[in-house]
Amino acid sequence: MLKQSLIGLAGAFVLGLLIFVALAWRSSIAPIEPPAAASFPPDLVAKGEALAGAGNCASCHTAKDGQPFAGGYGLVTSFGTVYSSNITPDPETGIGRWSEAAFARALHDGVARSGKHLFPTFPYDHFTKIDSDDMKALYAFLMTRTPVRSEAKPNTLPFPLNIRMLQEGWKILFFRKGVFEPVAGKSDEWNRGAYLAEGLGHCGACHTPRNGLGAEKKGKTYAGATIDGWIAPALTDASTSPVAWSEAELFAYLRSGASALHGTAAGSMSDVVHDGLSKLPDADIKALAVYLADINGSSAKLAGTDAAVQKAVATSGLGFTNEPDPDARLYASACGSCHYNSGPQPLAARPELALNSALTLPEPTNFIQVVLKGVGLGEGMPNVMMPGFAQALSDDDVARLAVYLRRTRTDLPPWTDVESKVAAIRAQASAAP
Amino acid sequence: MNEIPKSLSRSGAALATSRRGFLIGAAGAAVYLGFVRPGFAATDLAVSPAKIFEPTIWYSIDRDGIVNVSITKAEMGQHIGTALARIVADELEADWEKVRLDYVDSDPKWGLMVTGGSWSVWQSFMPLSQAGAAGRIALIEEGAKLLHVDKATCSAKGGFVISGAKSISFGDIVARGELARTYTADELKAMPVKQASDRRLIGQDTRAIDIPSKTNGTARYGIDAEVPGMVYARPKIPPTRNGSKVASIDDTAAKSVKGYIKSIALDDPSATVPGWVMVFGESFTAAKAAADLVKVTWTSDDTAGVSEQDVQDHAAKLIADPKVGSLVVADDGVEAAFAAAKSKLEQTYTTSSVLHFQLEPINALALEKDGVFEIHTGNQWQSLILPVLAKALGVGEDKVILRTYLIGGGFGRRLNGDYAVPAALAAKAMGKPVKMVCTRADDVRFDSFRSPSVQLLRMAFGEDGKVTAMEHHAAAGWPTEVMIPSFMPKGVNDVPYDPFAISGANHWYTVGAQRVRAVSNDLANRAFRPGWLRSVGPGWTNWAVESFMDEAAHAAGVDPVAFRLRLLDGAGRNAGSAPSAVGGALRQAKVVARAAEKAGWGQALPKDTGLGIATTFGQERDMPTWVACVARVRVDRASGVVTLEKLTLAVDAGTIVDPDGALAQIEGGSLWGASMALHEGSEFAMGQLKDTNLDTYTPLRMGDVPELDIEFIPSAEMPTGLGEPATTVVGPAIGNAIFAAVGARVRHLPIRPDAVLQALKA
Amino acid sequence: MITFQLNGKKVSLDLDGDTLLLWALRDELGLKGTKFGCGIGMCGACTVHVEGRATRSCLTPISAIDGAEITTIEGLDPAGQHPLQRAWIETQAPQCGYCQSGQIMQAASLLKDFPEPTDRDIDAVMGGNLCRCMAYVRIRKAIKLAAAELRGTDVK
Repeated sequence: MLKQSLIGLAGAFVLGLLIFVALAWRSSIAPIEPPAAASFPPDLVAKGEALAGAGNCASCHTAKDGQPFAGGYGLVTSFGTVYSSNITPDPETGIGRWSEAAFARALHDGVARSGKHLFPTFPYDHFTKIDSDDMKALYAFLMTRTPVRSEAKPNTLPFPLNIRMLQEGWKILFFRKGVFEPVAGKSDEWNRGAYLAEGLGHCGACHTPRNGLGAEKKGKTYAGATIDGWIAPALTDASTSPVAWSEAELFAYLRSGASALHGTAAGSMSDVVHDGLSKLPDADIKALAVYLADINGSSAKLAGTDAAVQKAVATSGLGFTNEPDPDARLYASACGSCHYNSGPQPLAARPELALNSALTLPEPTNFIQVVLKGVGLGEGMPNVMMPGFAQALSDDDVARLAVYLRRTRTDLPPWTDVESKVAAIRAQASAAP
Repeated sequence: MNEIPKSLSRSGAALATSRRGFLIGAAGAAVYLGFVRPGFAATDLAVSPAKIFEPTIWYSIDRDGIVNVSITKAEMGQHIGTALARIVADELEADWEKVRLDYVDSDPKWGLMVTGGSWSVWQSFMPLSQAGAAGRIALIEEGAKLLHVDKATCSAKGGFVISGAKSISFGDIVARGELARTYTADELKAMPVKQASDRRLIGQDTRAIDIPSKTNGTARYGIDAEVPGMVYARPKIPPTRNGSKVASIDDTAAKSVKGYIKSIALDDPSATVPGWVMVFGESFTAAKAAADLVKVTWTSDDTAGVSEQDVQDHAAKLIADPKVGSLVVADDGVEAAFAAAKSKLEQTYTTSSVLHFQLEPINALALEKDGVFEIHTGNQWQSLILPVLAKALGVGEDKVILRTYLIGGGFGRRLNGDYAVPAALAAKAMGKPVKMVCTRADDVRFDSFRSPSVQLLRMAFGEDGKVTAMEHHAAAGWPTEVMIPSFMPKGVNDVPYDPFAISGANHWYTVGAQRVRAVSNDLANRAFRPGWLRSVGPGWTNWAVESFMDEAAHAAGVDPVAFRLRLLDGAGRNAGSAPSAVGGALRQAKVVARAAEKAGWGQALPKDTGLGIATTFGQERDMPTWVACVARVRVDRASGVVTLEKLTLAVDAGTIVDPDGALAQIEGGSLWGASMALHEGSEFAMGQLKDTNLDTYTPLRMGDVPELDIEFIPSAEMPTGLGEPATTVVGPAIGNAIFAAVGARVRHLPIRPDAVLQALKA
Repeated sequence: MITFQLNGKKVSLDLDGDTLLLWALRDELGLKGTKFGCGIGMCGACTVHVEGRATRSCLTPISAIDGAEITTIEGLDPAGQHPLQRAWIETQAPQCGYCQSGQIMQAASLLKDFPEPTDRDIDAVMGGNLCRCMAYVRIRKAIKLAAAELRGTDVK
């Protein structure tokens, strides 16, 4: 009896395994002769370029100081580091032999031309929403790039996570295939924004928290998440920004990289704006702003904008005059020259810290990142730079600044254990791939 | 009494009575004027004007009428060159637009080269005036000849000799005439100098000659010096100032730095920089990065374990032993007065370590050329460091020259030229020019900072609250003992003392039988190198004296201003004397009264707001600068935070040569005082200073500046010094104002909110 | 190779990108007017303009300013006659002068953002510039003088 049961169990397991393998199995799509660049109509390529910008493909598919789209960028996850692939049309190491169908399958299904499952660090769960016209354009754009010979770097995922077939399980659990469906009752502009944000723009990849298996949590869309050592703040009404992210503010931020009432895009969001969204026309940026301003419920917060700005600017002059607090003096000496505002409106080139999410997020992560690394001339607000203070300030100094500013520029509870968080981020920065 | 060491005391009187003559003669295209040793003649000038003149000060006039004044003083913000040139030019009747400055390199011919103690104008006033007058007389005589008029009809003005409608420029006189003239020492002594009312430049506002270059980036400081082929060096500074030896150097990691050359331990026969390792690079960037990676291990002595509290405990122990120290003032009857006293007051005052934090970090460029070592750096006391450099390098003093540069902040740091030694040793070791630059942390760790101090003061009161005796015992590290003990005079008990570390305690108050005892803190002297810091001793002695006077006034139930005025009676040794201290304590009383009046002393003030007064005579009784300060503060009782709202100062520094420059010195000096009282102060911890940069050391900044109201008392007396006195009145004025505001007495500098809170509870 | 505009002229440096702009200016390009004070961006002596905004050159690696426009004290005005420089002389602001290049560069940035600076604006924006001689009274006066000149009005 027992024996039979065991055999039965084992049989069920084998059967299950077979079914799983059958489900997981993807065929290879035949390689093609790399198409000539001239075979793609220029306007289609141009459209694809804008879309590739919207998808911010270059950010992940370009290594530090590497050739555009040639891959090799390491994305640090809690499971290990996953390196991006070469998506230039190099026949051997890139996608030169990929047909449009293979390309579309990769983006829609998360499966490579060879039939290998792709890891969800490649956000096919968003790209699945891309419509066929856009897919054509993206393909045209990428296949007309300069081919770069560059072998993929091996990932550092441990066994068994490195078994690609197991990705099918992940897909069964978390992946819902399907092109974007416009939402009835919303404007065309809203739907355009939603299409870009949820599909190609894959905003949720950074801004939606992930579960233990690395999938975006259901019901937590855009609720904010930690990624790559930064916090991608909530895009919902859970935003901690003191001032509403109105359509106008969103447009200014996504178009220019900075808004006077919110601050400056830093970290990878700067790349999103300057290397990605900059390729999109104003109309698409406006559509994104319309959509995001709707889902974050900013209309309810708008009325409070003036008061919030006034309050922030009122704190801007703290710390400079007859100041006894050593932490305030540290701020005044190191930061105030550039960050002080006299109002009534803060100047965009003087990021007003009391309005900045770096101070209002639950953790000091972004604050620490920016203080240590600074913001380059090409990042955030163009032609305004902040030098990094990593060599200048001790962990204790950075922690003192964080604690002081959180205390005097916000009404939020104090951050805890800040000094060790500074040390951790500093260590992470020096060990970055 | 405490006096300036005779070797330093080159007051006008001292120079005028020397046996030196004055020579005017042509050489090349210019005429040179200066003091000379007896026996030289004008004709010798043709050989070499520079060799002939032994003088401390001289100048030349060329055919374009350009007057070139040699400046032997260090330019570090006091615009001393301008002030000295104004003195010459006023008597000379030169055209100010044609006056130029020449900051000279070190040379024995200049005699003692030191810029400190706020002495410069005071020392130079008479000799420079005489030099100017001598030149004027010679120019008038020669000009009269060229104009074919009687010299009695001639006068000089604005660079011309004028006789009625005729005139000739100084330049033309130099070009066409035969200026040659000597004056004997006696003639010079009899040389009339102008009455104050005849002065055209002295006392008038002017524009400092050094300022334009400081607004356009062309001013050159020591750190800007460079020569072809030089390499850069940054030191690895040992764990203790003295008593560390290099055990090992591991530069493995540094070898990956592009441009790294090597690291060597310095061998220093002068023992100025024991345990120093120099890290060399092709650029400062390389030397700096490499130094971070070079690992040095040292063996150190017990001072590696010494902290501020140890130093202070040691000071208190020394003070408690009446047998130690030097008696600087030792009147009879002190014991008797205390024994007979109706009441007594005794208090202890302390001060923390204070950094110089001059903004230009210490640096020096050293090179050897034809057997002579050139040191390019800003320095305040060339004569002090030259023998040390000679010893370190194993050469004669004539083989070392200090090239002169602007100083990016002196404040006494560059009186101690110790930083020149490692650069010189490094250049010798490398056989090529070496430019040493210290990072800020290196600079601070090598600072000869102001020693912490402990002081015990006692006062005896007789009938009707009359003060019958006063004692002042002060213990601190002694810079002069550590760096130039030969400058220490002996006290009444034959024990030498550092005059700079006790000056101020020998105040001008008439207090009956007085005793002043100076105690050297030998632990401080070993554990670090105590330095001269802007005003030196009065930085702590005046904190004690003026806080104590306030406490004494309150103990006696007398208003603090009235109490001071009563004691500043000018009686006995406080009567003052020529040349520089004419009027004595009565002049101090006058500034006290004036400052109090200006500040509205006695008027009603808002709640928790108070006025406090303090006064000083500067550093030396020989050269008093009378200053009084009223501070207005507001105290937050909940936090203990003190807000300094206003400083009112009255200053009597005799004749003011450069009024706007003088005002700048009082502005800066009083703010220094405020900074040291409320914002600075560090702590010695395990052989090192705790604060090494501006993240934790927090000097006064723009937003901390209180309202300033400064007034100079008009005076035709001998000019005295202005760079330091204002620094020492502000701390006690603030402390006294805190007491007036909320009744909390603080006895430690700097004044921290915690201390105010504690005093409020007391 | 890092190339940028320095006081209106193109310069190229063949140095490591992490070389700090301060030392590149002083030791490679011979512009000594920009000073080294604290090395941690808290004294302001090293202040230059990067794309017209005051920036601490002691914290700025040259890799960060590739292609940018840099102005130092030597280039603020070709003749050293910027209204701020004239005001600095008029008020006899400098003492030792070491911090003043940085003060003037920071003040120029201040006046761009706050053409009519209040005392609070000056406290805040100049708060990162340490003057160890404490010539603050005159620096404040000079800033107001220059601001008035730039606005074409008299000092209030």
